[in-house]
Amino acid sequence: MTDVFVHDFALALGRHEHTLEESVAAGRTHSAAQALREAGFRRHRTAGDDESAYDLARRAVAPIAAAAADAGAIIYATCLPLNGNLGDEARFRATRDVKHLMDFPVSHLQADFGLDRAAAIGLGQQACTSMLGSMRIARALLRDEPELGRVLCVSSDRFPPGAEYEQAYNLISDGAAACVVSLAPRGYRIVACHHITNGALARASDDETVGTYFSYTARLLRETLAKAALTPGQIDWVVPQNTHAKAWTILARLLGLAEDRVFFRTIADIGHVISADNVANLIALEAAVAVPSGARLLLPMAGFGLNWQAVILEKV
Amino acid sequence: MTEASAPQVLVTGGGGYLGQRLARRLLERSDASVVLWVHGRPDAPPPPPAALAGFGARLRMAAGELTDDGAFAGVDAHRVTHIVHGAAVTRFNVESELADRVNVDGTRRVLALAARCDRLEHLTLVSTVYAAGLISGEIAEAELTRAPRFANHYERSKWEAEQLPRELAPSLPATIARVATVIADDAGGVVTQRNAVHNTLKLLFHGLLSLLPGDPTTPVYFVTGDLVVDALAALVLGPVRPAVVHVSHGAEASGTLGDLIDLAYEVFERDPSFRARRLLKPLLVDAGSFELLVSGIDGFGGDAVRQALISVAPFARQLFSSKHVRTDQLRALLPDHQAPAPAELVRNSVANLVDTRWGRATA
Repeated sequence: MTDVFVHDFALALGRHEHTLEESVAAGRTHSAAQALREAGFRRHRTAGDDESAYDLARRAVAPIAAAAADAGAIIYATCLPLNGNLGDEARFRATRDVKHLMDFPVSHLQADFGLDRAAAIGLGQQACTSMLGSMRIARALLRDEPELGRVLCVSSDRFPPGAEYEQAYNLISDGAAACVVSLAPRGYRIVACHHITNGALARASDDETVGTYFSYTARLLRETLAKAALTPGQIDWVVPQNTHAKAWTILARLLGLAEDRVFFRTIADIGHVISADNVANLIALEAAVAVPSGARLLLPMAGFGLNWQAVILEKV
Repeated sequence: MTEASAPQVLVTGGGGYLGQRLARRLLERSDASVVLWVHGRPDAPPPPPAALAGFGARLRMAAGELTDDGAFAGVDAHRVTHIVHGAAVTRFNVESELADRVNVDGTRRVLALAARCDRLEHLTLVSTVYAAGLISGEIAEAELTRAPRFANHYERSKWEAEQLPRELAPSLPATIARVATVIADDAGGVVTQRNAVHNTLKLLFHGLLSLLPGDPTTPVYFVTGDLVVDALAALVLGPVRPAVVHVSHGAEASGTLGDLIDLAYEVFERDPSFRARRLLKPLLVDAGSFELLVSGIDGFGGDAVRQALISVAPFARQLFSSKHVRTDQLRALLPDHQAPAPAELVRNSVANLVDTRWGRATA
């Protein structure tokens, strides 16, 4: 099987920074500050009124534009379906013309960055797991169509005005992440990808989401490790989503992963950046330690749908 | 036999599941009269429960507060020949002070009453197999004189209550009946009284709990309400009256925590709505991990998850304590009793819970 690699990670966050207490006071959460603080959240970021999800995507791609040049495909993922359209819903209602619902950000991204060769692919309905889903699809594309050479993966979301910035007891930030998946042996080799969906829980309440979190996450990780023919002891770092700090202590103990190798240091400053957490934490990990060649990273994520995805990477 | 010379059994905890069933059994199968003592105002005892209508003057109601010195003011001590003290706070999450006042001081008051009962033949103190606390290994049908570690104040208070007859009334003819967890009324699995086990199963069925504390090999001791009533009635009626009896099946006739989960999910999976949700079995975690989850309770979920964790937490440590409960005295007390197959008892009970949606619907 052809090896596929992921590299050139980038992150962009909403421009406004708020402390947890400010956001609780402003009514952006429904949980009390103390509960969110105990979970590990301190600050988060929201987009400006004039800052769209697409603006965040452009900011995420800009620093890696050179690495993405001549990409054969762009996979542009959104958690919220409304972030997959730049059109004006009010104009649709006024004109009844559905083209206003089909103004796709991935097309704009292709044009704005001159990625003329790139096929534009939108990815939705995977919620917070969509960046990992993009990597998985990019790997499959490159194996099937190696002439694509590289695929730009982008995920970008901002909550609509008036939304609560809390989901399933997590403090949310608006943000975007980007990376390049390619056949060039740089960054990390994608060792395994895995995805579980339980559509029967598509309308799960927050409590049901939390209620199933541990059992499904444990299943996801066990199955992902089995796909990669690895044991928990062979994972050097877990680079997870930013959710309750204690949840990862429990999962690490349960699965035999080293607790001190679970790296989600960004939780305090940026909270849960929808589908960008793994990328945010990977960037922070690389800034904090010299990840040696051969090191294996496990990136898990849970999201609505309900979806669970994980990717295992190996440092080149 | 005149009314004054007939046996009279005082049953405390008369408002509860076992108290009323025991009263019925005694009224049906003996010529004893019963004083059913319930929680309430001494000067205004409630009327007999509808389930016990038809026994006329043989059933009398009395009321009081176990926390008051006048708890038994409405009881004629000179007529009482037997006492079955079942009144207690049985919640695993009972507060320390309340457990002391009701379960320990309340037992003191029962013993003080017993001292005034000049016709008293026997007292049964209803306790729990968990009065043995976190002791693992063999649990003999004998006094537990050394205080073990406990998982909660319920267990601790019941152990303290067990010490009182020996300390305060050593010559009193008394039996400590340590009862296991009542999972159903009968071997058919009908459940009319729900406890922490039933509530935990409910949370699992609704997908609100994906972690449980415990070791899958830990034995779990379940009995039917029928067995408990048979045993308590036999102690009243005599002649076998051991000092301590375990109203439980032994380990050989009991399942394990792992069995319970497997059987419960086997039954859950028969339900179309459960099957459609594709919920996974809970993960069994070590005590420390579960305590970590409970300590982060406010950040892990809303009221439903919080209630789920709070309900499980007080008996969490018990699910690591592998007890082997001796039942020799029970076999002597009820020589004809046949323990139901443990797997069938669990299956039937869980099926009843699912079919009735934990009592909200008709099976």
